Amino acid sequence: MTRMWRHVAGVSALLCSKSGFTGSVIMVFLTLSRWIRNRGPDRYWKVQELLKSARHFRGRKNRCYSLAVRAVRRAFVYASKARKTKRHSMRQLWIQRIAAASREQHMKYPALIHNLLKCSVQLNRRALCDLCISEPRSFKALAALACARRTEGFRAALGDGSHPPGVFSRITQPITAQHG
Amino acid sequence: MSSFSRSAQQWATFARSWFLIDARMQPPGKIASMCSVRLQGKHKPIYHPMSDIGDHVVVMNTRHIAFSGNKWEQKVYSSHTGYPGSFKQLTAAQMHKKDPTAIIKLAVYGMLPKNLTRRTMMQRLHLFTDDVLPEDILKNLTEELPQPREIPRKLSEYTQEERDAFPMLWTPYCKP
Repeated sequence: MTRMWRHVAGVSALLCSKSGFTGSVIMVFLTLSRWIRNRGPDRYWKVQELLKSARHFRGRKNRCYSLAVRAVRRAFVYASKARKTKRHSMRQLWIQRIAAASREQHMKYPALIHNLLKCSVQLNRRALCDLCISEPRSFKALAALACARRTEGFRAALGDGSHPPGVFSRITQPITAQHG
Repeated sequence: MSSFSRSAQQWATFARSWFLIDARMQPPGKIASMCSVRLQGKHKPIYHPMSDIGDHVVVMNTRHIAFSGNKWEQKVYSSHTGYPGSFKQLTAAQMHKKDPTAIIKLAVYGMLPKNLTRRTMMQRLHLFTDDVLPEDILKNLTEELPQPREIPRKLSEYTQEERDAFPMLWTPYCKP
């Protein structure tokens, strides 16, 4: 026992001198076997969980934990930021496609959207885009509706009061300009 | 169209068309914007920037384009090769004399998106100085696009009756 005490005191003195602490300290580990640290038992699985998000990366970032940690964190940050830009770019693409389709029908995109809004056709840009690709005739009908709504004022002022063919509306009387 | 088989419909949707534009008496900027829209594929409802769906555009009579205003003398095309003393500035008239297709080519190049697909799109643009087109291009053409600018008639092209019927706004002073 005394031999162990001396051993411990010697080691503790060594440690205190290294750290610059000069005082009489008695360390807690009484036997050599108790110096062995037992850290978390599941390090392997935690590392694997992170590396599985990095397997498709290039270079050592897909194998080595320290490099992978940084790369995976950046990747997750980019993914978070991109969720907002994805919505933005999807809307932009829908608008470009609707503009192309409406130009095929001899109308411009702002005119189409504004006149559909005035007719209270509440189709959003996603629906209009799907229609213009897969249901071209429905889109043509919508464009005709928007065109009719757009020229309603002109026809009331200059036309002969007749309705354009093929466009259904709630107006049943002939259109006349209502000026005072 | 609905009677096509699926593969035929797919082929028809994604086929590359060849457009023809006559640039006689047209402003080169308007011609260039029409070209750039069709080269990118923005005239199609199936447009996507990553999918290569642009069409071919053939422009003829580029020698006879018409700038508005004084742009033939005032518009300057500058270039620098990087070596000292090689800064060149050419007016539009000089540039056109040197190469009649350069004005439209530069205009279209500036209007296309500034990415790697730009060079491919420029390869699909075919410029000809006059209305003589080679056989293989003539065989490929599918559609002619209407000209953006209505060409005004010259005074000599009006008949005497039309000139007389034009309303007189003021009587010109003639020395007795």
